[in-house]
Amino acid sequence: METFNLEGTEDTPRIILDKQNGIFEISGRSIPEDSAEFYKPILAWIEAYGDHPNTSTNFVFKLEYFNTASSKLILDLLYSLEDIKNLKVEWYFHEEDEDMEEAGQEFCELVEIPFEFKTYE
Amino acid sequence: MSEEILTALTQLFAIITKQDGGATEKERQYVIHFFQTELDHDSVQEYTNLYDQFSGYGTAESEGKLKLTSVKDSVKTLGICKKINKTLTQKQKVVALIKLLELGASDNNFTTRRKEIINTVSTVFNLDQYEYNLLENFVISEALLALPFKDILLINDHPPSEGVPWKHVHGHIAGTLIFMRVKSIDMYFTKYLGDEANMLNGFIMKPNHVYLFSHGSTIKTQGGDALYYSDLVANFNVQIKTTPLSFNAIIKEMKFSSGVIGLHEVNISEGPGKLIAIMGASASGKTTLLNVLAGIVKPTKGEIRVNGFDIHTQKDRIHGVIGYVSQDDLLIEELSVYQNLLYNAKLCFANLSNEQIHRQVMEALVNLGIDQRSELRVGNVLEKTISGGQRKRLNIALELIREPAILFLDEPTSGLSSRDSENVIDLLKELSLKGKLIFVVIHQPSSDIYKMFDKIMVMDMGGYPTYYGPPVEAISYFKKSTLQVDSNRGQCKSCGDVNPEQIFNIIEAKVVDEYGQPTKKRKISPAQWYEQYKERFKPIPIEDIKEQPPRSLHLPNKLQQTFIFFVRDTLSKLSNKQYLLINLLEAPLLALIISFIIKYNSAPGGQGYLFRFNDNYPAYMLMSIIVALFMGLTVSAEEIIGDRKILKRESFLNLSWNSYLLSKLVILFSLSAIQTFTFVLIGHWLLEIEWSMLLPFWFVLFTVSCLANVMGLNISSAFNSSVTVYVLIPLILIPQMILSGLLFRFEKLNEIISAKGKVPLVGDMMASRWAYEALAVYQFINNTYQTPYYSLEKIEAQASFKSAFLTDELNRKRKFIEDHLTDKNESIRNIMDKDLNLIRKSIDNDVYKTGLSALNTSEVWRLSDFTTDFNKKLEVYLTGYKMFYRDIHNQALMTREKLVIQKESAEGSQYSLTNSKNHYYNESLSDLVRNVSEKNRIIEYEGKLVQQLDPVYVEPRPTSVFDYRAHLFAPKKNLLGRMVSTYSFNILILWIMTLVLYGALYSQLLRKMVKGLELAPETFKRK
Repeated sequence: METFNLEGTEDTPRIILDKQNGIFEISGRSIPEDSAEFYKPILAWIEAYGDHPNTSTNFVFKLEYFNTASSKLILDLLYSLEDIKNLKVEWYFHEEDEDMEEAGQEFCELVEIPFEFKTYE
Repeated sequence: MSEEILTALTQLFAIITKQDGGATEKERQYVIHFFQTELDHDSVQEYTNLYDQFSGYGTAESEGKLKLTSVKDSVKTLGICKKINKTLTQKQKVVALIKLLELGASDNNFTTRRKEIINTVSTVFNLDQYEYNLLENFVISEALLALPFKDILLINDHPPSEGVPWKHVHGHIAGTLIFMRVKSIDMYFTKYLGDEANMLNGFIMKPNHVYLFSHGSTIKTQGGDALYYSDLVANFNVQIKTTPLSFNAIIKEMKFSSGVIGLHEVNISEGPGKLIAIMGASASGKTTLLNVLAGIVKPTKGEIRVNGFDIHTQKDRIHGVIGYVSQDDLLIEELSVYQNLLYNAKLCFANLSNEQIHRQVMEALVNLGIDQRSELRVGNVLEKTISGGQRKRLNIALELIREPAILFLDEPTSGLSSRDSENVIDLLKELSLKGKLIFVVIHQPSSDIYKMFDKIMVMDMGGYPTYYGPPVEAISYFKKSTLQVDSNRGQCKSCGDVNPEQIFNIIEAKVVDEYGQPTKKRKISPAQWYEQYKERFKPIPIEDIKEQPPRSLHLPNKLQQTFIFFVRDTLSKLSNKQYLLINLLEAPLLALIISFIIKYNSAPGGQGYLFRFNDNYPAYMLMSIIVALFMGLTVSAEEIIGDRKILKRESFLNLSWNSYLLSKLVILFSLSAIQTFTFVLIGHWLLEIEWSMLLPFWFVLFTVSCLANVMGLNISSAFNSSVTVYVLIPLILIPQMILSGLLFRFEKLNEIISAKGKVPLVGDMMASRWAYEALAVYQFINNTYQTPYYSLEKIEAQASFKSAFLTDELNRKRKFIEDHLTDKNESIRNIMDKDLNLIRKSIDNDVYKTGLSALNTSEVWRLSDFTTDFNKKLEVYLTGYKMFYRDIHNQALMTREKLVIQKESAEGSQYSLTNSKNHYYNESLSDLVRNVSEKNRIIEYEGKLVQQLDPVYVEPRPTSVFDYRAHLFAPKKNLLGRMVSTYSFNILILWIMTLVLYGALYSQLLRKMVKGLELAPETFKRK
């Protein structure tokens, strides 16, 4: 499977989806003009990955900020991860960013995936 | 609304108002106002507090600076929406979304972030982007140009602009009324921009305030224009606009045959896309009106035109256009729900493949919510498998499936739960939106259903129309007519409910006596209401569309129809286990009973059973025929009666009557074939009749049974109840028994009907007689014992009769004349004259000619001719005659005996005359067909001597090519100049009778006669 690698910008997050090396990470800011369009290839990649996943998957979210429209697509993304076995979400937030921590907890309640909360400085 | 949802909405309100500067007082007021419409006083405070807490209203944080929507709020919004998704319907969600938009815009502070949140909400609610944009612009914008959507309709007095996507209707109104259609959920919203006081359902519309424009709503402008829901829908609906349909009913008067007036003048003119209710108290002529409109009953004066075609005189131009669902069940009880629909669909859509028909049927079942029950048998009222509501819906589905352009339904909701009723009317409404015109007779509709109608027709006792117009208006009209307060408002202010009962309370209000008790007298009589009606409602006939009305009907050809009818009927019979069991077991059981009873130790000395000596055999043959007749009659007698209701429904389809009848015949004949075969099989086996008799015997019984089938169908089509039919059966069967030729001799019947030497005509009309004769003669001539000797025995019998009985009789007569020649007594001379010519006729054309030429038999003899010489000649001739025939007899007898010896002594032969006779020959039958019990072997009848003995050896002497008549048990008959065997001839006659009966059935002769008889007393009375 091809590795999905997207450099981050001011408005869009950096995304690495690498099956071989087991790296799955979204980080940075997510306020794209058209969130649906932006997340479309990512959702497609995950769907394909879901057909032949690794034995275990650690999906890392390390976001600084996302807008409402992005939140809907992150939720869609999380839904598509639900069917993958042995998958865990690692939710990183800045140690002073309570909002991001609570957002992670809200997401955790909406989907049936184990969440692990981690801080960074 | 549940607490959970209200909390969820409160949170959404809070999150939205929190954005970009926090909640303002105006926004908070909007929220409180919303709570007030949804909640009681105490709870409003509770939820306001909740809102304040969520939105942080009044706290320092909410003041001031713009900041990004917090990620927590974003995710929380998602959570709330997901929760709402699980509970609210799409319609409710759209209403909630409109509330959010209104809130967001309530303080002119509709910022990008608020918009983003609401937009996300709409995505989570699964609303597509186009509709979200439509909603947003409709709610927010106050400028008309910001509404470039095809789902927007503007009403104002501007001239129509070209090239704009929205629709425009001209109206006398200041400002603009905006309507929005949300197509996915089929809902309409409206708002008004301007400063007039327009009324929506009797309440003033606030400017720039969004209202739901629900079923039955009306807006009245200050300028006096009225806009009804149905008009609005028609404006949005392309199908309604393009359906070429016009319906004009001009009923001047409708009188029943008793002379009572059923309907007074009613005019109804409608186009496509209308759902119209006919309401009224019982006995007000609702159903009569419906039947007249549907063309089932002809108005005494007036006409009904569909697209300009008269419904009665130009039926062929509009067939299949009208659908009718009566109040009764019109289902085939033995078939499953699915099969009922399937065969109906097959009869309607010859143009579709089986796959397409299946899909259409399933769709209809799903639409009416009975797809889960599709495999269940329909059953009847006593033996229920599906519920009353489901039966009703299936009845409706049967008509809906072919989507007739005009549909009439008689109380489609009676007996249904309120939810089911609503589903049914919803479905009808949906159909009307596809351009159908639908009339419904309805009783006590709920408010929601009532408002769904585009128009209602209110009837009053005695067939008086009292109101014809939009439903909610009706209440105002009646309130106004009786000068009630608040008459402008048809519906409840807070809930929008309408109470249709009010109408009837007003119409039928009773005068109160001085003690305050209502009397029987009405305040306003039906005739008075009618006067008002004539004043007020003058429906203008709509222009007749000169075009064939749309129809989806494609009838299969006649052969296909026969096949479909056949399959449908067969399936329904196969699924009726009782019917099948009884009909298949009846015949063998009867055969068993009869044969068992009549089989006895018949051999001489009571030692065992021998067919030859079974005295019951002739009676057994008659019983077989009666059984065949009886089975044939009973199996068919109820056929058409049972189908009558289905035929009534299908009469709107114009299906082929012949196809229908033929399908019946195929089924009944097959059944008859099986029944008679099992009967013959068991009977022949038990009575030890030789097997070569089996098929000929069966074929006669089968023929008789088929004839009885057609006879049964005739009765079945003529009478209305099975009881009548079963009472009739003895009337048909007993004459068949009496005139079969066995029980009562044809020679010894009442003089009026009797005939000698020939079967009387009344006997010729009986199927049993033809069948019996065929069986008896065939069995006698063609049994294995008889076949080799029949022709010889025939000669013997003839010769013996002539030499013994005939010559003696002739000589006696000759002697009589000789002795009385000098007698002057007139009456004796008459006898002598008659006798003389009797002798002449008897010997005329005889094969024995010696001395005959001297007597000149071709001319009439007179007594004066009878000289001694003449007497002598005659005596000589008769002596010679006697000798001649004695010789013939003896020769034939000898030949026969030789033949027997030859057969018995042939090498390796097992043949024994007695043995053969014991097994194949029946003495009793032989006595019958040879008529040995008759004492008068020769009688005089109409100037001829008639041989009574040995009919089975005497061939008839036809007087012309067409003379088919013969004596009973004649071995051969005249068929157009050719002598054919009695067996073939009689079977031919039976089939001709069957054919004639089929002709009568096809033309419904008996039905017409019965109808005529029923009408006769009435015509008499009137005179």
